[in-house]
Amino acid sequence: MVDSLPAHAPAPAPAHARHRRGTIERTLASVSDVMERSLYAEELAHRPGLLQGLDPRAKLVSLIALLVAVALSHSLLVIAMLYLFALGLAWRSSLPIETFTTRVWLFLPFFTGILVLPALFLTPGPVFISLTPGIAITRTGVQSAAFLLLRVSTSVSLATLLVLTSAWNDLLKALSFLRIPDTIILVLGMTYRYIHLLLITADDMFLSRKSRVVGHLSNAAERRMVGASAGVLLEKSLQLSGEVYLAMQSRGFRGYSHRATAIPMQRRDWLGLTVALGATAVAIWLGR
Amino acid sequence: MDETIFDLRQVCYSYPPQFVALEDITLSVLAGERVAVLGSNGCGKSTLLKLLDGLYFATAGAVQAFGQSLTEAAFDDDRFNFAFRRRVGLVFQDSDVQLFSPSVWDEVAFAPLQMDLEIDEVQARVNEALSALRIERLRDRPPHRLSGGEKRRVALATVLALKPEVWLLDEPTAGLDPRSQSWLVDFMAAQGEAGKTVVTATHDLSIVDAIADRVFVIGEDHRLAALGTPQEILSDHALLESCNLIHSHRHRHLESGLLHSHPHKPLLAHEHTHD
Amino acid sequence: MLYSPASMHIPDGYLSPLTSLVMLILVLPFWAAGARHLRQRSAARSVPLIALMAAFSFVIMMFNVPLPGGTSGHAVGGALAAILLGPEVASVAVSIALVIQAIFFGDGGILNIGANCFNMAVVLPYVAYGIYWLAAANTPITSRRRVVGAALGGWAGLTVAAFFAAVEFGIQPVLFHTAGGTPLYAPYPLSVAIPAMVIPHLLIASVVEGALTALVVLYLQHANRGILQAPLAAEAPAEAVSFRRLRLLWVGLIVLVIATPLGLLAPGTAWGEWGSQQLATMGLGFVPHGLVQLESLWGAPMAGYDLPALGNASLGYVLSAVAGIILVAVVAWLFSKLLSSGHQEQHG
Repeated sequence: MVDSLPAHAPAPAPAHARHRRGTIERTLASVSDVMERSLYAEELAHRPGLLQGLDPRAKLVSLIALLVAVALSHSLLVIAMLYLFALGLAWRSSLPIETFTTRVWLFLPFFTGILVLPALFLTPGPVFISLTPGIAITRTGVQSAAFLLLRVSTSVSLATLLVLTSAWNDLLKALSFLRIPDTIILVLGMTYRYIHLLLITADDMFLSRKSRVVGHLSNAAERRMVGASAGVLLEKSLQLSGEVYLAMQSRGFRGYSHRATAIPMQRRDWLGLTVALGATAVAIWLGR
Repeated sequence: MDETIFDLRQVCYSYPPQFVALEDITLSVLAGERVAVLGSNGCGKSTLLKLLDGLYFATAGAVQAFGQSLTEAAFDDDRFNFAFRRRVGLVFQDSDVQLFSPSVWDEVAFAPLQMDLEIDEVQARVNEALSALRIERLRDRPPHRLSGGEKRRVALATVLALKPEVWLLDEPTAGLDPRSQSWLVDFMAAQGEAGKTVVTATHDLSIVDAIADRVFVIGEDHRLAALGTPQEILSDHALLESCNLIHSHRHRHLESGLLHSHPHKPLLAHEHTHD
Repeated sequence: MLYSPASMHIPDGYLSPLTSLVMLILVLPFWAAGARHLRQRSAARSVPLIALMAAFSFVIMMFNVPLPGGTSGHAVGGALAAILLGPEVASVAVSIALVIQAIFFGDGGILNIGANCFNMAVVLPYVAYGIYWLAAANTPITSRRRVVGAALGGWAGLTVAAFFAAVEFGIQPVLFHTAGGTPLYAPYPLSVAIPAMVIPHLLIASVVEGALTALVVLYLQHANRGILQAPLAAEAPAEAVSFRRLRLLWVGLIVLVIATPLGLLAPGTAWGEWGSQQLATMGLGFVPHGLVQLESLWGAPMAGYDLPALGNASLGYVLSAVAGIILVAVVAWLFSKLLSSGHQEQHG
């Protein structure tokens, strides 16, 4: 059921299809894409699985440690092993592996791939394949491209693991484990919550404009419309912030946040954290 | 039982720079009373509730609650602030404004946590409020995944967790389906029966009978237009029409073919006889 | 970069962890300044204000802005936030939007939160605000100069931010490579990264940023002047604060430009190891035709940039960075001069 959601492969429409769509459609597409993705992540986070069962604090610290290991490694093999490790975790957490891999590998080349292509030729070093006289792919170029692609995809995979297996609210609470002040956590939570409200507002706004537009808007008219929509959204945001302030005051808010004391981590959480930190240490040592 | 909860003397409130929202309001609310504040949109009902909740402060005149003046300076004192906030709860018209936390549990626990209650007490209050509103199953849900009716219930739970003596409700039935509306009226009636003071701002005449012993009507000139029992107010069509709470329109009756004009109370059954 | 519509979002993997750490340290004082600013006003009121403004910044990144000629793009919204909130508070709001994007979009950028916030939540709003202020200080709310200042502020702000991102990219291959010379992170040196980042931004993304900022200011001039009255979170009259701010801004930015590479050099990676010789050959033998042209486009007005000619890479870098800053400053100054003559007539 969840696997059939359109959101699990939030495909950017091919360039030619995008070209014909107007400003309104493109904005609507971005907005609904974000909403669908957040819904999808929330559903996956509530599935039973290895990572879903772990304390988000353990997951957050593990993720950061592993990201550092990926970032520090001077060895392609070590990064590849960390990627496989991430893949294994995804499998044990009943994440749809196909989604998990395509999400990374299908769309990565669009950005990093294109970006890294000239590096094959540009990076000075011994010639790997000579195309024409004067233009050659260098060995260092290939290695360097491999480093970038593998590093980016492994980092993205690890981050995706965390996002897809943790409820946002738990993740938020885990941040206090990193000594992030409560007020900032309160703000982050409110931001996330009101992003959803503003997305719906923006969606309604653009839908209603779309329904009223017959034929084509001129470029200048479209621009004015975008400016006005952004302005209206801004006014709405400010008005909301004032009202929310009153609602917080009404319930006793004085500018400092009080949170419930956290539940201590279980044995399995400590175990998971130990495994992750162990893997990190080994990876850093091997990847020196 | 005759203790005065709110006492307003010639209260004016205007938004900066010069928009007048309330003018010369004098009224009082007694302990245990159920009061409806009637008025059309934009007449100042919401502003009045915010004055009563110590969120806005009168630009002229005096607002007293529990015998003490509600001023900005008074609320700067944490002790006064907490004591007042514990006793008075406001349910906002727009539930999205009231639900700012990442999950229903956090939302309902917000006020008890602000009051520095013991964690066990917070847990107990949250559970109690959730079960009273029959929304235990929503406890881990983020607010943006709730329906309109569910949001309203959570908003009520956030105030219920405070265990206030005074409920202030701003258009509580607006935008709800009929079943939720009648459930909500029952909920408010139960609070009244439990001895709570309930002040409800509304323009929904169909619920006034059920929720109020006394009615204040605010006119479109932002002044107090009338006060009385629900029966007195609801039968005064000239008053209601002048305050834009009912409207007259012309229509043809099927049986008689008679074309005529008479006042309508929105949402009331449309039956009447012609002599 | 995987999903995020904002093109300047640096994913994890492009920068060495050391760079990420340095960038995080650089951004901390700006966050502290924002927090101090907010506390002075009202800590309680700030919480929902910042949350809603961050949410707005996030959602505004979804807006597709059409440009004349058929292209379109997404703005970051940092310039708009700076005009509305003042740069200190804007940097907090935009940072929070970026943090949520990094975690929520799952497209990495978690280790690079410092770098992304520095580029888009510090450089962009401060530069944009400085230029807006130069153009619009003491003008009536409905003045055209405010619209033009907003456009130019957005444009220059994002361009300078792109320049900073390019520098972060460009120092990677020089500082971080294997013994065999393979770049470990972003592979392009400054000579490629700067034109490759700055030129497209200059022509498209920065124009979008400027356009959105100006369009919203134009809308507010008609619909809601109160919002434009003063930075919303300012506790003192905007002008008095702004002048100090502006000087601090430029001094701060220039110090940072110089300090960034020096800070990175300190841990001891030698320039010489992979330095001038190889950098010199770069772009001579292996560069595809189009890129050679691109590079000459950038290289022409800045002949001194060519590293070997100077014989000292870090000096070359600092010079080019300073030149970039001066360029923006001169444009802004000329612009304000140009407008101030018209402005005095308006008042006289």
